[in-house]
Amino acid sequence: MWLISLRDLQYRYRRFLIAIAVTALVFGIAVAIDGIKQTLQAEPADLVASFHADSWVVRRGSSGLFTTNAVLPDSVVGALRDTPGVRSAEPVVTGRSTVTTGKRENVNLLGYDLRRGGPEIVDGRAPRSDHEVVVGDGIDVAVGDRLTTTSGTFRVVGRADGSRYNGGAPTLFLTVKGAQRISIDGLPLVMGVAVQGHPKTLPDGTSFATNDVAVADLRLTIKSAMATIDFVALLTWIIAAGVIGAIVYLTAIERTRDFAVLRATGSPSRVVVGGLMIQSLIVALVAAVLAVPLAFVLRIGMPLPVTLSGASVIRIVIVGVVVGALASVAAVRRALTTDPALAFGGA
Amino acid sequence: MPDVVIRDLTIEYSSGGYAVRPFDHFNLELQSGQLVLLLGASGCGKTTLLSVLSSLLTPTSGTVHVGETEVTALKGAALTEYRQRGVGVIFQGFNLIPSLTARENVEVPMRSAGRSRKEARARADELLEMVGLQDRIGHRPGAMSGGQQQRVSIARALALDPPLVVADEPTASLDYIQVDGVIRHLRDLAAPGRIVVISTHDERLLPLADRVVELTPRAILDQRPPERTELAPGSTLFRQGDQGTLVYEVDEGTIEVVRELADGAGEEILAIIEPGGYFGELAPMFGLRRAASARAGATPAIVTGYNLRDFRGRRGSDVTDLTLDEDA
Repeated sequence: MWLISLRDLQYRYRRFLIAIAVTALVFGIAVAIDGIKQTLQAEPADLVASFHADSWVVRRGSSGLFTTNAVLPDSVVGALRDTPGVRSAEPVVTGRSTVTTGKRENVNLLGYDLRRGGPEIVDGRAPRSDHEVVVGDGIDVAVGDRLTTTSGTFRVVGRADGSRYNGGAPTLFLTVKGAQRISIDGLPLVMGVAVQGHPKTLPDGTSFATNDVAVADLRLTIKSAMATIDFVALLTWIIAAGVIGAIVYLTAIERTRDFAVLRATGSPSRVVVGGLMIQSLIVALVAAVLAVPLAFVLRIGMPLPVTLSGASVIRIVIVGVVVGALASVAAVRRALTTDPALAFGGA
Repeated sequence: MPDVVIRDLTIEYSSGGYAVRPFDHFNLELQSGQLVLLLGASGCGKTTLLSVLSSLLTPTSGTVHVGETEVTALKGAALTEYRQRGVGVIFQGFNLIPSLTARENVEVPMRSAGRSRKEARARADELLEMVGLQDRIGHRPGAMSGGQQQRVSIARALALDPPLVVADEPTASLDYIQVDGVIRHLRDLAAPGRIVVISTHDERLLPLADRVVELTPRAILDQRPPERTELAPGSTLFRQGDQGTLVYEVDEGTIEVVRELADGAGEEILAIIEPGGYFGELAPMFGLRRAASARAGATPAIVTGYNLRDFRGRRGSDVTDLTLDEDA
């Protein structure tokens, strides 16, 4: 019966407000964590898509080009350009470095000729020399600044949109030769070739990797991080269920006499069960709704970009319903086992 | 017309591991329109009997009929139906739901029974007006006096117009001013087609009653002369739960004082009384039932039963220095 549940919520509103506030915070953290997961999941696909390649050519047996040490001679680039069906073939050289000015952090190095495509430059121009870089999101520098890394000092000539990968690490775009100098001692090698078109044949010792394979390869590096995020999200849901469950259970203990009276006066079990479940669900759903704006606030303090989507909101509401239902189980059990004869106890 | 018929009612429960039977083959018949008072000391079983009448407690054996309904055989939906429509309960502690207003408390049984909100509200208002609380309809129990809460409880008990209303110590939590209002309403409840059973030890309610059922017989000052009884080995002098008016002295043989254990687990010998010893003094002193049984030991025994005056005359101040007073 709605009436008894709602009146009880009003009667004990302080404790339910506390439960809602704590649960909303926990749900908000869950939404923010989910947003980070969405970001990490989207990064590889966004990066691969930004090259507008139809496919990638890598050394045969390699799983992909962004995470591999397997290299190809850069002569394959010319061979591919001469292959019928190929509109363009651009070499890619990858590596890692650490920014040492300001906040120290790991960065990805990508040697690629941005004048011929790739991620969009939103400010400035593409690098023309080995000591020029374009920086992606996540590094707080402006065009014209100098950037010191463990691989040398560069002049920032442009900024590119997005381009994070390897768990949110920002990216420095260099010329191919610049990247070769840093990553492989200037050897004329490449990690792969971004190909537009459909080559009829492949140079010896190479194989195709589709965009999907390239994305899967990038995601492999964050597999453990994603599993950890899932586990932490599960923990937050359990904590939320615990908070709601504890409050509703305490209320059920206080209402033992009420339940005895309800049963003694012929109220069916569904009235008692439904009443407690409704209370749990109301707390969980209100908390879930409040969690969404709270997540927007929380993401300000998050070190990684947080992607909040409609799917996240729907997911947290569904989780709220499930958490609310589970949280009421202990209280429902207690209420159903209340002896109606207890109603005859003294005042 | 609904009558209440109780046949061979036995209720046994465990108290500290011992079997306690507040009712042992108890019989009672109540007529429609009666206001019945169950009188008795605390612990005599008044509330237990109300619990059985309300179908909140299943007796060990025996039957209770309210009209055509065998209350003791009800289960499931029929049990819920009886609790909704067959009986109205007025609790000692009022037991109103604190978060609901007076009107909502009265509405609850009707809403649970499937009445529409509009119908339940109209009936609740009518009942609250009947008990003089028309101006307290929107108040929560915490904002009402004990007497007002008890009147709301009366209105709730009548919500579905049950043929049986039971009230457990309805005046116990009230001061004398509040009792006045409640007593008048209780009297009005007993109308043709309805039986009202009230458990109480408040003798102010006696003038209300059409019938009084005393569950604790009053202590009777027995005037009989000393009574000599010869017992064969193992034969019983009195049983646990019996009423008793005599104190016994052992003249020959031994007497075993035994108490029955709960759940048919046998019995425990509390004491063996040798010649010159005495037992069974508390029951006649305080009008209690025998708390243990007494029987002859392995040999024939002879005991003499004395009324309290004669026993005190024989023992004098020694009576207060009893060794078996807690058990016999």
